[in-house]
Formats: sequence, C-alpha cells, structure tokens
Amino acid sequence: MPVFSPFEREQVRVRLVLGGMLLAFLCLGVFLWRVQVLYGARYEVSLREQSMRRVRIPGRRGRIFDRSGECLADNRPSYCIALYLEELRQPGNWDETVHEVQRVVAQLSGVLGIAPELTEEAIRAHIKRRRPLPLIAWRDVSHATLARLAEQRPSVPGVDIYTEAIRVYPHGSLACHVLGYTGRTDPPAEGEPYYYYLPEMAGKRGIERRFDTALRGRPGGVLIRVDVSGYKHHERYLRKAESGEDVFLALDTHAQRLAERALAGVSGAVVVLDPRNGDVLALASGPAFDPNHFSPAISRADWQTLLADADRPLFNRAISGRYPPGSTFKPIVAIAAWENRRVSPGVTYTCAPGGFKLGDTIFHCWEDRGHGPLQLSSALERSCNVFFYRLALDCTYPYIYHMARALGLGSKTGIALDGESAGILPDNAWTLRKRGHRWRQGDTCNAAVGQGYITVTPLQMAVVVAAIANGGDLYKPRLVLGSRRAGAARPSPGAARPVRNMNWSAETLRLIRAGMHGVVHGVHGTARAAAVPGLEMAGKTGTAEYGPKEENKKRGWMTAYAPFDRPRYAVCIVVDDVESASLTVAPRLRALMMGLFGINTEDRT
Amino acid sequence: MGLAVAGLMAIGILFVYSACFLSDEQPVGGVYKRQLLWALVGACCYVLFVVADYRALGEISWWLYVVSLVLLVLVMHTGEQVRGVRRWLSFFGLHVQPAELAKLATILYLARRLGRPGLNLRHPKHMLVIVALVAVPLVLVALQPDLGTAAVFLPIAIAMMFVAGVPARSLGIFLLVGVLFLPVGWLMMDDYQKSRVEVFVNPGKDPLGAGWNKTQSEIAVGSGGFFGKGYLGGTQNILGFLPRTVAPTDFIFSVIAEEEGFVGSVLLLLLYAVVLVGCMRTALLGRDKTGRLLCVGVSVMLFCHVFINIAMTIGLMPITGLPLPLISYGGSFLLTTLTALGLVQSVYVRRYRY
Repeated sequence: MPVFSPFEREQVRVRLVLGGMLLAFLCLGVFLWRVQVLYGARYEVSLREQSMRRVRIPGRRGRIFDRSGECLADNRPSYCIALYLEELRQPGNWDETVHEVQRVVAQLSGVLGIAPELTEEAIRAHIKRRRPLPLIAWRDVSHATLARLAEQRPSVPGVDIYTEAIRVYPHGSLACHVLGYTGRTDPPAEGEPYYYYLPEMAGKRGIERRFDTALRGRPGGVLIRVDVSGYKHHERYLRKAESGEDVFLALDTHAQRLAERALAGVSGAVVVLDPRNGDVLALASGPAFDPNHFSPAISRADWQTLLADADRPLFNRAISGRYPPGSTFKPIVAIAAWENRRVSPGVTYTCAPGGFKLGDTIFHCWEDRGHGPLQLSSALERSCNVFFYRLALDCTYPYIYHMARALGLGSKTGIALDGESAGILPDNAWTLRKRGHRWRQGDTCNAAVGQGYITVTPLQMAVVVAAIANGGDLYKPRLVLGSRRAGAARPSPGAARPVRNMNWSAETLRLIRAGMHGVVHGVHGTARAAAVPGLEMAGKTGTAEYGPKEENKKRGWMTAYAPFDRPRYAVCIVVDDVESASLTVAPRLRALMMGLFGINTEDRT
Repeated sequence: MGLAVAGLMAIGILFVYSACFLSDEQPVGGVYKRQLLWALVGACCYVLFVVADYRALGEISWWLYVVSLVLLVLVMHTGEQVRGVRRWLSFFGLHVQPAELAKLATILYLARRLGRPGLNLRHPKHMLVIVALVAVPLVLVALQPDLGTAAVFLPIAIAMMFVAGVPARSLGIFLLVGVLFLPVGWLMMDDYQKSRVEVFVNPGKDPLGAGWNKTQSEIAVGSGGFFGKGYLGGTQNILGFLPRTVAPTDFIFSVIAEEEGFVGSVLLLLLYAVVLVGCMRTALLGRDKTGRLLCVGVSVMLFCHVFINIAMTIGLMPITGLPLPLISYGGSFLLTTLTALGLVQSVYVRRYRY
C-alpha cells in the first residue's frame, strides 16, 4: 500500500471536505428544484388563497310594472361618501387608524356642512370585519353635497363617491299591499363561498318577496388582493352581476288608483277582476302605508308606528281578511237550489212580519214588516232574509256547501301573494270538530245569509261574482302576467284557462243575473245608490255584524259586475264599520264604476 | 474568485433594496444604502487583511481568542437587548457582535495551534484540547442565546481537525458522544427555539405564530417557479406576507428565490460554490499548515451559513438566525465575511516559498 506523506494526506482530506460541501450544495439544488419547479404551482395556490378575497356584488334588482308598462317599483341611485381604509391606514395599532378616520370624517363634515354619522364602534367593527371594503360615512347625500365633495376631493385622500341602489316606489303607497317592500338582508348561504358581501335588498312582502329570486338576478363578484394586514391592495373584476328580471303585473294603475280612492278614509278592501280571464286589475286594502319608508331601511320609530296602529296598515285585507260575507252569499244559495232542482223555478216564499220561526228560534228579516210573498228576483233585489232561510232549508245545506266549495270558498285561490287566507266553509264535520255539535238547521239559516261560521276573503267573493259575470268560468286570479330578463321583450301572457267551468244552465244564470240587475236598477234595489246613468250593472249588497255585540259594528259588502252585457269588470268592496252597505258602500262603488268607465258627472263622491 | 465575491455583494445590495423598498418605516427603507456603506467598509477591510501578513495575526491569535471570550462574557452582562437577545455591544455608536469576532478568532487560533509543526495528532489529548477550546466560545454564544451561530463552531472545528490530521476514528467517537448529548441540549433550549424545532418537525403546528415565517418563506420560494416573478415583483414581499423585519436579513434568499426563480437560485448557489472552491484551492496551495487550515476554517464557516440559511428558507431545517454571507443585511457579518476572505486571500498571495 503506498504510503502517503502527511502533506498528501492533508491534500486528500481537503479535497474530501470540499467534495462534501459541493455535494451538500447539489442536494440543496435538488430540493430547490423540487420546491420551485416541481411543486411550484402548489405554492402559488397557497399564495393566492391567503391574499385573495372574493366580494359578492348583488345584481340590479328587477323592476315591477303594471300591465301597460307603468313602473311601480324602481331603483334609484343613492350616492354615498365612502372612505378607503387602505389609503387612510396608519402604522401602529388600530387606534391610530380609527383616529385618522375620525379626523377625516370631522374634516369632511366641516367642509360639506353635514353632521358626522359614523360612530367609533362602527369604524372599529368595519376595520375588524370588512377591512378591504369601502367604509360608508354618509348615505344618500344630496346633489349639493356631492358637488361640494367634488370640489374638495383632491385635497382629501382616501375619500370617494360610492353608489348604491335604493328601491323606490314612484307612486308612493299605490298598490303597496301588492308590491310589498324590501329591506336589507343577510347574505344567503350559496354554493360559491364569498369572503365579503355587499349589502343587498331582499323582498319582505308582496310581489317583492314572492318573486324575490327572479328580481334579484345573479350576483357578480370582485376579487380583491389584500396584503398581510388585510387592507385592499388592488381589485380585479371576477364577473359582472346579472340584473334581476322585471315583473309585469296584471294591475291597471288607473283602476288601482280608483280602488284606493274608493277606500278613502275607511278600513276595507277592494278587488277588481277581469271576468274574461281572471286578471287582477286592482287589489287594494285600507289603510295603506308608503313602502318608500322601508328603503333603504325603515326607522325604528316608523316601524313602531306601523305596528302600533290599531287599523293595521300592513295587513292585506283583500286576501287575508276573513269576514262573514253576509247577503253576498245569497246568490250562491240560489244557484245551488236551482242547479240541483231542489225547488221549482217559480217558487215563492212569504216573508211575514216578525220573522221566521224555526223550532224555538226566530230568525228575523231586516225588514220587520216583512216583504210578503217573493220570488227569487225580487228576493235578491230586496235582499230578503226569510226567503233565503226557507230556500236554504228546502235546498238542504250539503248542496249549498258543494256549490260554495266548487266556487272556491274555503280554499285559497292561489294568487301570487303570501298570506292568503282560505276562509272557513263549515260543514257537519267541521261543527263537530270545532263546536262539538252536529250541523243544525239553524246553522243552515245562518249560512243562507252569509253569517254564522262561514268566513270568506274579499278576493274569493270577487272570483265568485266574476264567475257569475262570465257565465260560469271560475278563474284563478292572475296577478302576474310574466317576467322578463333585462333587455328582453315584454312577456305576452298566454290565454288564461279557467280552473273549472261550473256548467250552470242558462236559465239559472238568467234568473240570478236578473235578480242582481234589480239590486242596482230595481225600484226596491238595495244598491240603488250605486247606479250610474248610462251604465247597466248587476250586484249584491251585504251587511254583516262583527266585533263584540255591544259595539254593534257592521261590515258592508258589495259585489258587482259591469257592463251587464259583456262584463269587463267584476268588483268586490268591503268596508269596515258602516251604517249599512246601501248607505256607505254603494256610493263608493258608484264612484269606482264611473272612474273605470270614464264617465264624468257633476257630483263626485 | 474575486469576481464572484464582488458579484455576490452587488446581488446583496440589489435584493436588500427589493426586500425593503415598500416598507413604510423610514430607517428600514433606506437600509440598502447602509448595506452599501458596509460593503465599502468591508472592502477596505478586505484589502487591509490581504496586505497584512496572516502569520503575524497568527502569532497574536491566542490573545485575539482571549479577547473575544472576554467580549462574549461582557455582552452577556452589559450587551444591548434587542428582541430579547443580547448579542450586540455598542462602541461609540457602532454595533458589534462579539460572536462574529469569536468565530474568526477561534478559527485563527485553531489554525495556529493545529498548524504547529511536529504535532502528533494521533494522540487523543490534542483532540480533547481542541474540543475544549471550541466548547468555551460555543457555550458562551449559545447562552446569548444564539444557537445557530454556536452550532457553526462545531463543523468548523471538526473539518479543521480532520484536515489537520486527527484520525477519523477519534472524530467519529467524538461525534457519537456529541449526539448522545443532544437531549441535554434540547432541555437547555429556550422556548422560542424549541417552538422553532417543533414547527420544523410538525409544519401545521403554529401557522400564525412560529410557523408563519417558515410557511411564508416556503410559499415565496415555491411560487417563484422556474424563472421567478421578476426583480421587485415578489408578491409575498410586496403584500407583506414575508415580514419586512426578516426579509432583508435571514430570509433574503426567499426574496431572491421568489423574484428570480429556480434559475436565479441555482446561479446564486454556483456563485457561492465558486467562492468555496476558491478558498479550498488556496487551502491546497497555502505555504504553511496554519494558512491552509485557516482557509479550510473560513470555507467551512461560509458553507455552513449558506447551507443552513437556504435549507431553512425551503423548510429543510428549523429556523435559525444565520445570515446569508455577503447578501443578508447586516454590517457585522459582512465585515466578518470580508475579513475572513481577506485572510484567505492573504494566504493565497503568500503561497510561494521564497
């Protein structure tokens, strides 16, 4: 074995050490390759994940139109003054930034002449939870303020104008119960996870709520790159938001206005349908409210006022009110008796003075002196109770029940609004369950005049009178004609198909219609006050008691259709707390009809 | 080799600038200017030591060693507290790290001692003596606490002994014994050092605290890809995810890797390799054993720093405080490195026996 001198050995060792070091470098190089080239993409993803934030931007809310294209619910821009934290941030802890924000707010307040509205808690909460988003200092400022800000803008950093959309109802409280209102909402739990959400409107009642999904459109998104402190670095558009669909209602603004005017000063409801297809031309409930108060958010005071109002302005009486129909139920009794041939067509009953005795009870007519012998037409014209007590007893209640049920009483019409009541159509099973007794003849008598257990909504009665008007087609009330995407053409509603055809005989119809004609035009008609010169109509009044007996309150009804030949409007009016339907409700119907047909006379109601 | 050194220094200044240019704080933003200043001072030192005879230094190396020990003890009692560690002494406004001086002094002294002619290094007593001589500054530095720098002493000592002629077997036994003492070392570690090791072993352990630098550095290096994001384009740095306090110092390599990618990283390694080869070449050519051992020591010192620092930034080793030679911001270490390289050059210049 060759002997190495110490020097040579040393040289070898030096080389060994060098080799070791270079080998280690090579290993480093391999690892660098691994990290940077092989798995580089993974790290790029991590980088993006920790520094990117998605912000959800709501789409423009769709508008609501009436049948002729009149805009009932719209959006208007609300100009806000926003502060951008990434330009105002101060080194050090958050307090510095908070003070800086307050300083800028105070400075702006002086320059613009508006009082500061941002509280310190609000600033802190924003810094904590929504740092890269603009901090709104003032919402919905006037144009004058905007102009002043535009002048000042270069000298104040980190401030800019920010536009939000606010729901506005150009016609104020018109159709407020149909339209509903919007309010701010929590972000929905959706598929794509968003980090931040910009405030969005959601429908809370009415069509705004029912069609909320379509009206909202699809949200867009913005990608914000944040730095390690969470402040915005820059932003990049992800996707544009999609505008919501516009909704077209069957309402006619002119009719709606007339309907609401008919309720001036009283509580009640008005429904106007088109008997040819079930279109809801007007749906009004009084008292009303102004949905503009809810945009962008209702003040606590206003909300409390609305809630505390004993007349319940938020309550939609037209579809939710459950009221005994009173004498407006009588035509249904008559149709039931005639169609099922329970009585002969020319049947006569005598309304004797003192009422009608059934067992131990006496059922009175509203005319104490009695009407004498009557046939159907005159009985309807005078709204004689006794006639109908006896008619109902001869008909027997089950036929009346089935006719009423077929006409939609006791079930919801399915109109495109939330909160509809089905009302109550009682039968034997019902009384057993709810009142603990079998159906009695006295119950039949009560039902015959629309009192007792039976309750209906004004909408249901409008549907009934529409069926009488068009000869037996029962239509589902059509409130919405269709919706369309922004930029698309107006929707053309298909022909409406009736839910069912009652298959009434022509004779029955002729009789009933003649009687209802007499209600308005007959000498003894209870609704003479509703007559409009030059217009032939048919109708039926009703007066039903409600509330505690000692208060002696009555609700006045009137159902009607016009013109008598080829009807175009079917109306139902209900007014709370009346003298009688004839005195209070009929004149209002007259005014409504005059307006609908464009008839002007000297005297107006 | 001189070119490589100059190149590295220039790179250092460039990337210190990149690491700092977005910082809001005033002194940090102008950091690259300070680095430039130190570079110039260091260059002067380099020249000084080249001109000076390393052998003369070798003669006073014992005293240098003692002085450095004294300074190490001094710094533990009166040193400035920066972030909880006492590492610096201030002399008339200048901050000096005695640990740096200790490294050089120890290398010098070891070189001189091991280089004495006629030594029979087979005898174990020599190794033990050397170990003792190294242990003292090592422990003193470790108590500062500065485990990273302390750890560097060991490979230097071992390499120098190996080259000097201590039998490999003895060294092997010594290493084994040392490994057995590791648990003792663990117990003596400070909490923050322990957490660094824990995070190294279990990466998901403390992502927002001790693990933050590690994770962010890996993301920075990894996302650099093959070609990098371009000078001044390192997003990790721009957005502040790589903390600005460490970016120009311990994690400067992360900045370079993110901005220049794999290509840049490898080039950097090559430059360092050139420097190492240069030093070792001088180790082969040096005139006397002391000189040669000096080169080996310097070389191994630089190697340890480079290796540990880069390994740390890509997650191969726990976080330490070892700076990257000639590139990391830091006047003390720049001076040390340039002094050391000056000494090597001094050996090289005197390699011929006349």
